[in-house]
Amino acid sequence: MASLLWLQGGACSGNTMSFLNAEEPTAVDLVTDFGIDVLWHPTLGMELGDNAKKIFNDCVSGEKPLDIFVFEGSVIEGPDGTGEYNMFADRPMKDWVRELSDVAQIVVAIGDCACWGGIPATKPNPTDSNGMQYLKREQGGFLGTDFKSKMGLPVINIPGCPAHPDWVTQILVAVASGRAGDIALDDLQRPQTFFKTFTQTGCTRVQMFEYKQATTSFGEGTRQGCLFFEFGCRGPMTHSPCNRILWNRQSSKTRAGMPCTGCTEPEFPFFDLAPGTVFKTQKVSGAIPKELPEGTDHLTYTTMAAAARIAAPKWSKEDIFVV
Amino acid sequence: MAVTATQEGNTLDMHVSPLGRVEGDLDVRVKITDGVVTEAWTEAAMFRGFEMILKGKDPQAGLIVTPRICGICGGSHLYKSAYALDTAWATHVPQNATLVRNIAQACESMQSNPRYFYAIFAIDLVNKNYAKAEGYDEAVRRFAPFVGESYEPGVTLSNKPVEVYAIFGGQWPHSSFMVPGGVMCGPTLSDITRSIAILEFWRDEWLEKIWLGSSVDRWLENKTWDDVQAWCDENESQHNSDCAFFVRYAQEIGLHKYGGGVGNYLATGTFFEPSLYENPTVEGRNDALISRAGVYAGGEYHDFDHMRVKEDTSHSFFKDYGLLHPWEGRTEPITPEEGKKKDKYSWAKSPRYEVEGHGYIPLEAGPLARQVIAGREGAPDHADYDPLIMDMMDKLGPSIFVRQMARMHESAKLYKNTMKWLSDIDLHGSFYTKPVEHESGKGFGSTEAIRGSLSDWIVIEDGKIENYQVVTPTAWNVGPRDDQSQHGPIEKALIGSPIVDAEDPVELGHVARSFDSCLVCTVHAYDGKTGRELAKFKMGGM
Repeated sequence: MASLLWLQGGACSGNTMSFLNAEEPTAVDLVTDFGIDVLWHPTLGMELGDNAKKIFNDCVSGEKPLDIFVFEGSVIEGPDGTGEYNMFADRPMKDWVRELSDVAQIVVAIGDCACWGGIPATKPNPTDSNGMQYLKREQGGFLGTDFKSKMGLPVINIPGCPAHPDWVTQILVAVASGRAGDIALDDLQRPQTFFKTFTQTGCTRVQMFEYKQATTSFGEGTRQGCLFFEFGCRGPMTHSPCNRILWNRQSSKTRAGMPCTGCTEPEFPFFDLAPGTVFKTQKVSGAIPKELPEGTDHLTYTTMAAAARIAAPKWSKEDIFVV
Repeated sequence: MAVTATQEGNTLDMHVSPLGRVEGDLDVRVKITDGVVTEAWTEAAMFRGFEMILKGKDPQAGLIVTPRICGICGGSHLYKSAYALDTAWATHVPQNATLVRNIAQACESMQSNPRYFYAIFAIDLVNKNYAKAEGYDEAVRRFAPFVGESYEPGVTLSNKPVEVYAIFGGQWPHSSFMVPGGVMCGPTLSDITRSIAILEFWRDEWLEKIWLGSSVDRWLENKTWDDVQAWCDENESQHNSDCAFFVRYAQEIGLHKYGGGVGNYLATGTFFEPSLYENPTVEGRNDALISRAGVYAGGEYHDFDHMRVKEDTSHSFFKDYGLLHPWEGRTEPITPEEGKKKDKYSWAKSPRYEVEGHGYIPLEAGPLARQVIAGREGAPDHADYDPLIMDMMDKLGPSIFVRQMARMHESAKLYKNTMKWLSDIDLHGSFYTKPVEHESGKGFGSTEAIRGSLSDWIVIEDGKIENYQVVTPTAWNVGPRDDQSQHGPIEKALIGSPIVDAEDPVELGHVARSFDSCLVCTVHAYDGKTGRELAKFKMGGM
């Protein structure tokens, strides 16, 4: 049995919608089978209105123990630090976030906006959106570098735009089943079990990546090759399990021919969407990818790439995802 | 439950905060006199500044940014942002790509219908105010949150149609797989067969088994309100379906009697006949649509022309420019404090449409609007002509009930269309034609998100976005008054609503939620004369 409160700030509700796609367990199972006591959630028909506000206040006062506080969306601080761009139950949302974070055993930021500001914080960041404990890659965010929840943990970041439902449900089940101690975090406070691997781990195009064979067109063009070389795919530089735990139980963006946009990393959307950066690989000398798989350098990469291209078998240059 | 209320005199001012949570928070203020809503203000309570973020960015930035405006209809945002670029860059879109885009758009909408109906709307049907209704126990048995017999399968099975979205787009929500010139995917045989199997499962387990109690085809034979009533009692299975129960119960609790709104409607249409839109243009758009565009105002049909759309900010927290077409649109916020001094009260702009003889008027967007337009005679063969909801409008007039029926009716049509489009895909054909990325251009892209017309207007100059304006269904419906003091559609729909129990005015929830703009409802009541807070009410819960 664990109590859970979920609020949305500068949000699109995408993480909630993603969450509702969950199976094993479903959102309903979490309540009926795993005893997650949802004190309040904006979509799921819980206590509302004055009763909801009473719940928030009871949590803040300590009268009602709050085990898990989930926040979706950016913390909006504008205009001029007032937070009035996002009012909620008669107050700036940011004030609720501060007080509820202070009393929760565990604080979970779900989705990029809550983790690092996300799209609302893209230049020029019109609403002064902030992440819970990071603004982009800079630690601190709204709650500050030193913030620790009641259990002594920093904010648990479950990034992604949106987060995959399993990244959330499995963490909730872990907490509900007494395995909170097994949740190890990486240096961006993401659960390692999900974010140690790369988006590329398990990608169906990884052989073509190894032989440096590029996809050169969308549509039927994605029946062959790897999206890294021309279309700005960030799969080799992005930490996520998108190709280990498939989306909607079916696929992933890279499998379906869409370049990874790196949405589990704090810089998303990369290059602030400057002209020429969307779905286009940034290159040096017009040929070599500017950004390379984590831990490699340009000299090693170009040497290896040249050898790989020579070694590339015929099938690696042909349509492989055929009708 | 609700706190005790003390009513003084016969007038109550209520502040509803927050009421909606689709594109941010929505507050509503209403004035209630003698148990009837006499005045209403809808207040969008959050600002995120997406149009400001897009200015100066890569022309394709909208493909990534606009889906994140709303995670509930992010696929619809992607769909229209791709067409905005197609028209701006004069692309070629292969027929297969049009089919895939149609399928994806339809799958998002098929997801939304049961999720919205059970998780958002039907919860209000088990409000204790209806405890004396004959159908109450049955409503509770079916629709009670989490434990209702239909609630769990309805909410859970809503994830199936978007599995098909993921097969083509990689994931749902928030893929960006539609690009100018087509789609990114090159589907394989099993992508098609698996999609068919998933949708058949969804049809079997929810649409036919739980919602209709009949085959989809049998339901679609209904062309009039009389047909629907006869269908409800045709056999035990149909009689016991959620649909037939809703038809009976909605009438028992009076949902067919209020919540009508402005009575004027807009659909910008969606789904293209692939052979008619290989070269998307703004001018050629209406003729290529399957779910047609159109305006119904003053009891007459009009062709849709995007140049007649203008946005007003006289009551929005933005600088005042008068009415602007979105290509000239501006988004420059002012602080709520400053705005309130000028009678501004919302972060939504007020979209208006010029109808000859009527001036710039507010229009309702959404499933009801779409089905009103679907009832216009003279449709070409490829387009949807469907008289059912228009017949219900003639017999019953607009209301919460008819709005719901319009929406749920679409589930059957969406399913049929999607299965056809899946069978039309030529797997060996092309899905993408690389476009020329022109340095400048103007584009208009539009679709029908499940909750209504959704459009982008883009201006590209020097290889970057000079202006980007998004007009959402929530803006059409939730937008505040304009400079002529005309109410927005939800404001208008709230006025005239009976409030039987001022301590628990569930009627306001029904109206607002029938527009699907509302996930959270709270009511704060204030004494009309002194402004003193009298009571705070919970809406829509058990």
